[in-house]
Amino acid sequence: MSELRRDPVMGRWVILNTDRPLGPNDFEKEEHVFKQAEKCDFCYGRENHTPPEIEAIRMNNSQPNQQGWWVRVVPNKFPALKIEGNLDRRGVGIFDMSNGVGAHEIVIETPDHFKKFSDFSVEEMANVIAKYQSRTIALANDNRFKYIMVFKNYGESAGASLEHAHSQIIALPMVPKDVLEELEGAQSYYDYRGRCVFCDIIHQEYQDKERLIVENGDFISFCSFTPRYPFESWILPKKHTSDFRHLSNDERYRLAEVFKDVLSKMKICLSDPSYNFYIHMTPVNYEHTASYHWHIEIVPKLTHVAGFEWGTGFYVVATDPAVAAKHLREVGIKV
Amino acid sequence: MPELRKDPIVGRWVIIATERARRPGNFVDTNDNVFEGTAEDCPFCHNHDKVIHSIRNDDPALHSDWKVLVVASGTPILRIDQHFQHRGHGIYDVLNGYGAHEVVIESPQHIANMADLSSDQIKAVLQAYAFRINDLEKDHRLQYVLAYKNYGWTAGARRIGHCRSQIVATPVNPLRVKEKLIGAKKYYDYRERCIYCDLIDQEQNDKQRVILDSQHFIAVIPFAARFLFETWILPKRHCCDFTRGVEGLEPDLAAFLKEVLLKIKVGLNDPAYNFVIQNAPFRRAHDTKGKWKTIEDDYHWHIEIMPRLTRVAGFEKGTGFYICPVTPENMAEYLRGV
Repeated sequence: MSELRRDPVMGRWVILNTDRPLGPNDFEKEEHVFKQAEKCDFCYGRENHTPPEIEAIRMNNSQPNQQGWWVRVVPNKFPALKIEGNLDRRGVGIFDMSNGVGAHEIVIETPDHFKKFSDFSVEEMANVIAKYQSRTIALANDNRFKYIMVFKNYGESAGASLEHAHSQIIALPMVPKDVLEELEGAQSYYDYRGRCVFCDIIHQEYQDKERLIVENGDFISFCSFTPRYPFESWILPKKHTSDFRHLSNDERYRLAEVFKDVLSKMKICLSDPSYNFYIHMTPVNYEHTASYHWHIEIVPKLTHVAGFEWGTGFYVVATDPAVAAKHLREVGIKV
Repeated sequence: MPELRKDPIVGRWVIIATERARRPGNFVDTNDNVFEGTAEDCPFCHNHDKVIHSIRNDDPALHSDWKVLVVASGTPILRIDQHFQHRGHGIYDVLNGYGAHEVVIESPQHIANMADLSSDQIKAVLQAYAFRINDLEKDHRLQYVLAYKNYGWTAGARRIGHCRSQIVATPVNPLRVKEKLIGAKKYYDYRERCIYCDLIDQEQNDKQRVILDSQHFIAVIPFAARFLFETWILPKRHCCDFTRGVEGLEPDLAAFLKEVLLKIKVGLNDPAYNFVIQNAPFRRAHDTKGKWKTIEDDYHWHIEIMPRLTRVAGFEKGTGFYICPVTPENMAEYLRGV
């Protein structure tokens, strides 16, 4: 049986084909072996091997770029975009281009080379989220930047080249296309119904229940009704907020609880898969805050995207999100 | 200094960050192109039960009465025997999986890469695509057909070393296709010219992104390439759809496609790749909304080839913003030299 489903935000159709459903054990397993511990620039005691730190969470009496830290934020040694200079947009015949102004930072999530993000305590995770927040706020003050993207690649097949737990922050001089489409989709839903589409999705997920993974007082996590990838999971704040930057201390802790829970469940259920996650929030100085709702998308890397997906933007998934959510719910973890 | 470039059709920005670059010939992260099994146990060599279309063989050297065979997919993602039903589920939209999914077996011989087929054989494959697309157009519930190929494990294919491609017909228009159509239409509304024709002009003048140029076709690395060695093949004769556009030019396109695929195979160490034929959607006589009023003039069919050399990471998935570590000009220069 196969079914086409339309994403209510983007209008993108996905094909859910469950003729031969893929369960947690039907995907290729990937081993994560630590091979870089000898010469890792992110390790404790090697602080002078990175560019000078921008921010850190450290012990009271410790000095920047010395030992005594829990989380460090440093510029990327090999940045995709450069922080110096002004944006210079120009045309080349029918083409448009600009110089590559932006920021590219690395959040080193732990001094411990062998500790995986999914094994962090809630407090350690909350610390990392605090850095996402403070960097996002600081970068938004630079008026050259229009969008701040926080994301993580875990594991080689998800695009990580370094094994020491880290995430990345990129500040862009323009709003990326996929984000723009999501913003426009949400705005046109809002124009039509006067409600936030993400709030409506949360209501729908509560009613259906079958795709829920975990929740607490402030956050909810479920498998997407229109997944592009098997086991694609979202985390949303229950209360309508467009901007990730406004999290309170308490909310940050509640987010860390749900985040840790979902990642640990994925790790156990899917045998420590490679994954990506990214935070979708509003662009800098965005007006339409009523229509957008920030969220985190977590995408385990279990299958290869094929020509059909690239060519059409139509994704084919062989795992029913309700079944995926059931598998994840049934994994028992103590937080 | 990194550079940002914008795709003139869909408006997607890419980052060309050459400081993270590698030298040409050293692009392959993982070459996982290992095939398993032999011709004896290959499902594409034997047992063709649901044959939809075949092109007869007249070459005795092939030891086969067919040259190209189109069969129903054994693991279809959409099915023609489902009834067509559109319904709502709360705020969500659901359609039954109505559609077609066919496999084009490109040769009776157990050969893995299309680049290694003869041009005559590739010509027959192109004819099979055109025949099937024309036939599927007769089903009024279908809106779009995509002919595409996954070659190699990383590109999403099974590890069977027998060349085949796929044809999928869908009851709705896919998002990426819509973007292209909308982008091309906007440009046409403004300038009254086809953006792809303009692009061909500019590429012929600039020359630096051209890989191969023939009387009827041109192959370029796009100005805002998303992936390493992403390659477009554009027909010089303006036409919005593949079936009419390729008519009479099948031998030219076959030889051209073979040469481009060979350059990729030899220059990049036989990487996994995908290609897709970007075609106009079906236009129906009863289309009263006037959706496709200028499509004959504003859209231009083409082929996109995507070697799978690097991994797509969280940034690309989250933003649709791609980072490419080599300039398109350098990539084109490298492939020209192969």
